[in-house]
Amino acid sequence: MADPVMTLEMIEASQMGLKAVGAGLAVGLAGVGTGLGELGIGAAAVGATAENKDMFGLALLFTVIPETVVIFGLVVALLLLF
Amino acid sequence: MVDVGGPAPYIYVSTRMRVRKAKLIPREEYLRMLNMSLPEITRFIGETEYKREIDELASSFSGINLIEVGLSWNLAKEYQDVLKITPSGVMRFVQSYLRHWDIQNVLTILRGKMQGVKPGKIKEVLVPAGELDKNALDRLLAEDSPDRIVEAVKGRRLGPLLSAGLHEALETGSFATLENELYKNLYMQMVSDAKGGVAGGYEFLGYIQTEIDTRNIMNLFRFRGQHASGEEIKALLIPGGKAFTVDELVRMSTIENLDELIEAAKKKTRDPELAAVFDELRQQRPVHEVEVLLTTYRLKQMERLSKRYPFSVLPILAYLEMKRYEVANLRAIARGKEYGLANERIEGYLVM
Repeated sequence: MADPVMTLEMIEASQMGLKAVGAGLAVGLAGVGTGLGELGIGAAAVGATAENKDMFGLALLFTVIPETVVIFGLVVALLLLF
Repeated sequence: MVDVGGPAPYIYVSTRMRVRKAKLIPREEYLRMLNMSLPEITRFIGETEYKREIDELASSFSGINLIEVGLSWNLAKEYQDVLKITPSGVMRFVQSYLRHWDIQNVLTILRGKMQGVKPGKIKEVLVPAGELDKNALDRLLAEDSPDRIVEAVKGRRLGPLLSAGLHEALETGSFATLENELYKNLYMQMVSDAKGGVAGGYEFLGYIQTEIDTRNIMNLFRFRGQHASGEEIKALLIPGGKAFTVDELVRMSTIENLDELIEAAKKKTRDPELAAVFDELRQQRPVHEVEVLLTTYRLKQMERLSKRYPFSVLPILAYLEMKRYEVANLRAIARGKEYGLANERIEGYLVM
């Protein structure tokens, strides 16, 4: 059987593909992590708000703090892609 | 509450309990209330979490009765409220815990009926927090003989014991033995519920054992000076404690000297907090002070356990117990003021 011959175009294309997979993983896993982080905070925030309505603003702020992790993931993904 | 799985329901309910705990009346407020008159106390209570009940009942009751009924209603409402948000995984434990209100309510009804008290008057002191809700209690109140009342609760957990002991209680005119049996049985059922292999049972068992231990020690101090025989004492102690077994307690009850008793008790416990309580008890104290000391210890212990096991039934039980003692404190202050007792005397009965 003849050796497979890889052209430069093929290598570039596969590199691009792996970058895309990496970017996807960066955003996806960061999102999962954020979800896990928000699980507890969200439950506590709803509990606190149910007892005291004035807590709503502060509770919402606490809930979105783990969102920053997704932004890190997004930044990494964008750096990879462009 | 529908259990969505995972830790979220526990976090939710723990937070709510924590907020509610923070809303409980602090020590300084009790001390301030001691210097108030009864109408001032009513107004003060009416401005706190008890506002709705006090407003609602103000047209039909006044003075001490308004406070009493308002507190009972609020307690019952609070318990039902908490049941609604309890995660389904630990629901059975909370229900099991609340069953002691059933015993209290049924016995209150039976006692009231025996004394010929009007149903409306009995209703004022009922706390519909257990399995028997307001409607079930109303039905029991409408029954005219003790036999019919016992017949009506036959299907419940306390039914068999109640029907077995009723005859004797009616003959002697005292429900004390029956009451002891019912509570002992309740604790035994709670222990078997906890040991039933259901998830979360271990933590619940920790709570029950603390409760049984403190209650047994309380009883031990009550027996002192009563010259009760070993058999009598044994019959009244609750089995299933962690720090002390019934036999040990019976042996301890024979020690006449208080210092020796304290030493014997301290040897058995590894908990430094409990040992500190025993040191406090070294002085000769009236029984109610012993009870307050032990109750304070128990509440602290529950608070600690609830922080160690946040994903369990303990944060809920800790709050329910604290609420119960808040109501007991307010009632003690109101009653004490009604009878014109000295402030120091009332303060001795407060669990703060």
